[in-house]
Amino acid sequence: MSELLVKNAYVIDPINHIDGEVMDIAVRDGRIVEDVGPKATVIDARGCLTLPGGVDSHTHVCGTKVNFGRYMSPEDMRAGREARRGVKHATSGYSVPTTYANSYRYAVMGYTTLLEGAMAPLEARHTHEEFSATPLQDMMANTLFDGNWGVMNAIRDGDQDRVAEIVGWTLSAVKGFGIKLTNPGGTEAWGFGKNLTCINDEVPNFGVTPIEIIQAMIRACETLRLPHSVHLHCNNLGNPGNYACTLGTFNQIPDLNEKRQTLYATHVQFHSYGGSDWKTFCSKAEPVAYTVNNLPQIVIDMGQVMFGKTTTMTADGPMEFNLYRLHHDKWSNHDVELETGSGIIPVFYRRKNLVNSIMWAIGLELALLVKNPWQCMLTTDNPNGAPFVKYPEIIALLMSKKYRDAEFATVHPDTGSRVVLPALDRELDWNEIAVMTRAGQAKALGITGIGKGHLGLGAEADIAVYPIRVGEVDPAQEYRKVIDAFSRTKYTIKRGRPVTRDGEILVHGENTTIWVDPKMGPGHDISQDTEFVKMFDRYYSVRMSNYPVQDEYLKRSLRMETEAVF
Amino acid sequence: MRITLSMRERKNPYIPIEAEKIVPSILMKGTDVTVYEGNKARRLADLFEVVVEGEAASADEVEVVLRGDTSRVKRVGEYMDGGRITVEGDIGMHCGNFMSAGTIEVRGNAAGWCARELHGGTVICRGNTGHYCAAGYRGEKKGMAGGTVEVFGDAGDFAAEHLSGGEVVIHGNCGDMPGAEMRGGTLTIGGDCSRPCGNMKAGTCTVLGTVRDLIPTFERTGETAGPDGRTLTAFVGDIANRGKGRLFIRSFQYLE
Repeated sequence: MSELLVKNAYVIDPINHIDGEVMDIAVRDGRIVEDVGPKATVIDARGCLTLPGGVDSHTHVCGTKVNFGRYMSPEDMRAGREARRGVKHATSGYSVPTTYANSYRYAVMGYTTLLEGAMAPLEARHTHEEFSATPLQDMMANTLFDGNWGVMNAIRDGDQDRVAEIVGWTLSAVKGFGIKLTNPGGTEAWGFGKNLTCINDEVPNFGVTPIEIIQAMIRACETLRLPHSVHLHCNNLGNPGNYACTLGTFNQIPDLNEKRQTLYATHVQFHSYGGSDWKTFCSKAEPVAYTVNNLPQIVIDMGQVMFGKTTTMTADGPMEFNLYRLHHDKWSNHDVELETGSGIIPVFYRRKNLVNSIMWAIGLELALLVKNPWQCMLTTDNPNGAPFVKYPEIIALLMSKKYRDAEFATVHPDTGSRVVLPALDRELDWNEIAVMTRAGQAKALGITGIGKGHLGLGAEADIAVYPIRVGEVDPAQEYRKVIDAFSRTKYTIKRGRPVTRDGEILVHGENTTIWVDPKMGPGHDISQDTEFVKMFDRYYSVRMSNYPVQDEYLKRSLRMETEAVF
Repeated sequence: MRITLSMRERKNPYIPIEAEKIVPSILMKGTDVTVYEGNKARRLADLFEVVVEGEAASADEVEVVLRGDTSRVKRVGEYMDGGRITVEGDIGMHCGNFMSAGTIEVRGNAAGWCARELHGGTVICRGNTGHYCAAGYRGEKKGMAGGTVEVFGDAGDFAAEHLSGGEVVIHGNCGDMPGAEMRGGTLTIGGDCSRPCGNMKAGTCTVLGTVRDLIPTFERTGETAGPDGRTLTAFVGDIANRGKGRLFIRSFQYLE
């Protein structure tokens, strides 16, 4: 029995409506309890901002695509090198670092739960192998269904139950968490050298359109009672004028769930572009944010771009090819049979580049224009917009108009006429930041019930203690202190055990992989369906019996069982 | 100031030595530095007989002389910023990495990655060099950016890969793909080579011998006189990469 007492903490816990109360947090056996005995280990958090452990609901840290980013950019491994010390493994890399480096850097920033944004089902084993080498965070993986042949055939045939059956079977086979759609239909079209420009184009050979895929998957998600909603990367990413496509998609999303959103739209910054080409490129964050404000069924994440070097990686193969034609740098494209694809390109976002400057502004505009912080998550779509180590800077940008103006003075001089950022006076407060970095993310993922994202009784004791005195620091003026505090916690506590102290890694932990197992009842087992088995045997290069990920791949496993209602 | 390092007899002469500390500006302050023999930390004096003569006020007045079997001593002259290193025999990999000033002279052969990512200064190799002579490192877009590399023998594959500035002269033959991904600087090859300058963007490459398997994405623009007065065929390319590099070749045969 291990006991821990975090004393005199200045707590902000939005889910439990605690906003700046000085209190003690008692922990027994990894859970938050009423009180503990006198022998408990005591951590003095006097004057320290204490939040639930950070949750990142969209990041790319594990899996074949991330690993291929590592292959492709050996020069990236020249940065971030640290020698082995104590329990800490040697690390290297900046935009696509080693798994340990990802885990340590996240832990030092107070993050304890991560969602890998895109896992190709066929390559799930690799993702789970890397999860097991990410010691300090609990991991989840959204599973890609954007070009799934079985799903698209079922949608064309109008067989909604079958869509849910395939999704449910696949999720539990590959130990996935939720549904990810990346450029739905577009990546499959790209396999035939084509792309889809928006939601009403037909996917070649399948006779379905992206909006049909999106709506069928949303209904399947609700049929299966999944904790998280559909996680959508809209069509037409990164092209001028694509905001119209984004709005078109958002306006067709039904409101089907009272407890959470029906759609989680990722990196909306990349989907809020106006203009008709790169010369007339401008921000359309306003109409997008306005739409989100009117649609409570939608949650977005920023996908903030920060200046500097990074590596873009997404299952959106055609988009990455376009990016290659722009940069003419090294690139990779990859097809995952019958399921999805991916592309990887290293990029450098420059202040002196007008397009990059506008992209930087759009992310901030979205976060400031979306009124409800529960509807906008703070992410960079790591590492697509920037590596996650930039989060503290983004927090400071959102909290300080002064900092935004200082940064704005350094970007391309024409940016001002293309964006609305300089006109936005809103400065987010501590509570809103806590929502956008943990409480809101946990709620959107549907994992508050298993004790994530809050500090209520019975919650998982994931606690981040930041060395900043909330009452004495004015974040609007002293934004440097905010950046410093969020860059390095005083303590990060994972399952009731301090894992970092002042940036030092204290333990070699073991993560929990959270996955969803929808129970579908008799008559709905797609693996017994002759037609599905026939498709599998005919087109897949693996046998169906070899397809599911074995339990040995999950060191600690937390199965969230759901009851499907057909 | 003259610092002579004579390699002592070693029990196992095949174990590589990592000696990035063998640089005039470090040794002039004292020769009690640590180098690695395999994974073991050693003092310089354990591996070499160290003789110091005279004094120096700056690194430019220092000459380091390496004697004995130094073919497995790696990273000599890394980040060198002045002075002179003379290697009387062969030298191991990564000699002269990131060097910005000074001179390294190798009287024997140099192993792979000789003069990698050179910024300035001079590297002279009297013998042959291994692969990736005067190149960039894995994944890097810019290789050597300045300075001079002169090889009197042959060079291995990928000589001057990612060259973006400075001058590389190889008097002998080169292996496969010299000047690949070149984006500046000049490369002169006295002998033969194969498939030069793939994906070249800018810069000048001259081959005074025969090119085997010339890449077809170079546009022939005419003829010009070479340094010895004999005719060279001029090309522009690599047009597959929108490149505008110049390639001058004495004689060639196309890739089949």
